[in-house]
Amino acid sequence: MTTPARAIAFAVLAAAFVPLPGCTARVPARRLAIYTWADYFKPALLARFEREHGCTIVIDTFDANEAMYAKLKAGAAGYDLITPSSYFVKIMHAQGMLRPLDRATLPNLRHVDPAYLAIAMDGAMHHSVPYMLTNSGIGYLKSRVKDFRPSWRIFERDDLRGRMTMLGDMRETLGAALKALGHSLNTRDDAEIAAARDLVIRWKRNLAKFETEQYKTGLASGEFLVVHGYSGDLLQVRKENPDIVFAVPEEGTSVSCDDFAIPAGAREVELAHAFIDFMHDPAVAAENTNFLSYVCPNSASYAMIDAAIRDNPGVFLAPELRARCEVIDDLGADTVKYTKAWDAVKAAE
Amino acid sequence: MTGARAGACGGAGRRRHLRELLVTAPSFAWLALLFVVPTAIMLAMALRPADPYGGVGPGFTLETLRGLWKPSHLAIAWRTLWLSAATTAICLVLAVPAGYCIARARPRRRRLLLLLIIVPFWTSFLIRIFAWKVLLHPEGWLKKLLVMIGLADAGTSLLYNAGAVILVMVYTYLPFAILPVYAAAERFDFTLIEAARDLGARRLQAFARVFLPGIRRGLVTAVLMVLIPALGTFVIPDLVGGTTGEMLGNKIAQRVFADRNLPEASALAAALILAVLLPVLAVLALKQRERPAPAVEEDA
Amino acid sequence: MTRSRFPLIVTAALLVFFYAPIAVLVLYSFNASRVGGAWTGWSLESYRCLWGEREIWHALGNSLIIAVTATLASMVLGTTAALALHRYRTRLQRAHYLLIYTPLVMPEILMGISLLVFFAAVGLDLGLLTIFLAHVTFCISYVAMVVLARLQDFDESIIEAAHDLGAGTWTTFRRVLLPLLMPGIAAGGLLAFTLSIDDFVITFFVAGPGATTLPIRIYSMIKHGSPTLINALSSILLLVTFAAVLISQKLQREAP
Repeated sequence: MTTPARAIAFAVLAAAFVPLPGCTARVPARRLAIYTWADYFKPALLARFEREHGCTIVIDTFDANEAMYAKLKAGAAGYDLITPSSYFVKIMHAQGMLRPLDRATLPNLRHVDPAYLAIAMDGAMHHSVPYMLTNSGIGYLKSRVKDFRPSWRIFERDDLRGRMTMLGDMRETLGAALKALGHSLNTRDDAEIAAARDLVIRWKRNLAKFETEQYKTGLASGEFLVVHGYSGDLLQVRKENPDIVFAVPEEGTSVSCDDFAIPAGAREVELAHAFIDFMHDPAVAAENTNFLSYVCPNSASYAMIDAAIRDNPGVFLAPELRARCEVIDDLGADTVKYTKAWDAVKAAE
Repeated sequence: MTGARAGACGGAGRRRHLRELLVTAPSFAWLALLFVVPTAIMLAMALRPADPYGGVGPGFTLETLRGLWKPSHLAIAWRTLWLSAATTAICLVLAVPAGYCIARARPRRRRLLLLLIIVPFWTSFLIRIFAWKVLLHPEGWLKKLLVMIGLADAGTSLLYNAGAVILVMVYTYLPFAILPVYAAAERFDFTLIEAARDLGARRLQAFARVFLPGIRRGLVTAVLMVLIPALGTFVIPDLVGGTTGEMLGNKIAQRVFADRNLPEASALAAALILAVLLPVLAVLALKQRERPAPAVEEDA
Repeated sequence: MTRSRFPLIVTAALLVFFYAPIAVLVLYSFNASRVGGAWTGWSLESYRCLWGEREIWHALGNSLIIAVTATLASMVLGTTAALALHRYRTRLQRAHYLLIYTPLVMPEILMGISLLVFFAAVGLDLGLLTIFLAHVTFCISYVAMVVLARLQDFDESIIEAAHDLGAGTWTTFRRVLLPLLMPGIAAGGLLAFTLSIDDFVITFFVAGPGATTLPIRIYSMIKHGSPTLINALSSILLLVTFAAVLISQKLQREAP
């Protein structure tokens, strides 16, 4: 007796909404399946690409590199383009999971920022192209957090207990603790990792959550007052709530880049190349940067991006702070050390 | 009678057997292929080594199973058990008076009450959890009210703690407890309570000694209906739980999606199966014994 | 002898408990604040935005495709299963019963991960097909149980009478048994439809590119979407549900 009503409910919804224009019309010949982070392209640009290439773009999202990797490794073969972090590109390339790029079809790569390529893991852009750069750091509400100092030690403040979050990503959060302790966030040293683990366990008492996604809306709505997150996300959500400030801690932080890469099993290889090239057109790159607040490392686009991003000290870092920042690297078998430390953090009361 | 028939003509028995196979095969084959085989593969996976990049290494090992006894796993297993047990206990305590009340109501009112209890649960389970996030929001009006009457501190959060997990689990699973209790109470002969009272039993005494044993089977079903999904939940602690609210389901999801360690996820899943299987097998044994008399006797 | 008022008070309190979050959810869908949290004034903005979210409607389309096909398949498989379980008492049926019953008590996450491992092992791409297979797998048991319950309330003498009147097995099934069972099969099908369209956990594990269902979409909106948008979507779903309840109640009352 409970079910007919619900069935009717959904049938009515279906009748009301499914035959929207565009859903029932012609089936386009080509379909580009992109597996990426949530909200990672300006929708108008996607629509433009679809129009120009007579295709549809299907976007699927992941919330952690590992999730994307696990799915591809488990045999999900339908994706044509992915945007993992650089160190995951390195892992996947080493395992033959990526397709080498055809540089001849990518003329816009000449605009890619050489300063970034110098430190990039795939500087020659053999199998990946940098898409978006971001720093991790601290976002907070100016009016609610008194005496803010840009330091990871903010997570020790009892007066903010229960209203702070740190990233649910083990490398980022243990990395923050390692930086706070003055170590490298790529350390393989057991004692240093153990010290970082204990520090995070201490911080954990003041945290509401380890959160990789909900911190954005959480900070904007005042649910959280201090969050550990990415510059791109936090500048983005700042458009909703101007009270938000983003700062990079003085001890240094992680710089990460997400790269375009084409999985070995991709079906629409040519279309995927066209998409990469399209996204590195300087005007497109600038428009995307302004929309996302992440920075596309495309030198020719810098002149066209908003001052709010270009002049933000948390985005384009001062040289001495930049020197204290690192790119998260793949640690191979030593990753287990971090997994163990992270398990202990999660299990601690 | 059937024995005689089968004896008289073996051909009929064979035909009957063929018919049985024919009507059993579709569902049997489907579930064997898509339920038993996957479960077996998953259990076998628990015996495989993991390679650091999310693949499965060569050969077999008991390391993963042995690894289950890590202190960090035991802490989470314990947390899962107590959160589930607390949820079940609260659901039961609330379901008994509610089931009693509905069963004793007049038919029109009974129908209305049942409807009112079930209607919210026609909506998406995710939406109901989200509703609690809105209601318990630290800047929401409930929090403001609690601060005003001095029950909460302005700086704290009602969300992201064990209490929030239990609250939302109770909210989600309570109807699964109320319905079986109500179904049992409806069949209960309430004159027994009056008889007990006439014999001098106090109200609570009559309730505990007569009513509760009378609806025993409804209570058992209610416990299973709440305990099992609670043990395996991962969405609720994921959305409203805090740093100390992680349960076994979250660990399994983390091993699958974040750490890409399928063998360890499978080993944890095996542990969860064990936790669920014990109460279920007990009840299943009971059920098998109590199945109504068959329509046709088993062929000899 | 007075009856205790305690159960009535508990029940009334429970109803408040059940409806309060839903009421707040609907109220907040009219909040002018785009980020949720504090109340900043009345607005219909989130409903207007919702209309343009084509991914939501695409996900709803996927959900409906899966729900309809999985329901039909599980109605057939569940009904044959119930017939077999009801009619025969062999060792095979004991195993069959166990096979039907166990998925009912298996936590969803276990079915999700085992199917994920299985699809990976046989090399099946994750997508609508794998979601369909998974949904049929958990729906069969529910349909079978509902039909079985109907069969157990059933007057066997009708079948006997049909046989005595010379009807063959197939004719008896088609002309007598099936029509009598139809309400049970329909009820099982509706249950399957409901379970399929609302399933999140299992689908989360076996969904692939472009195969986002409505619950998966809602989950990702909760994680990083605009809260007021989810409020608006939820309110519409609630409204449609409550309207459907009213209609079905009215129909039930009018039916003799």
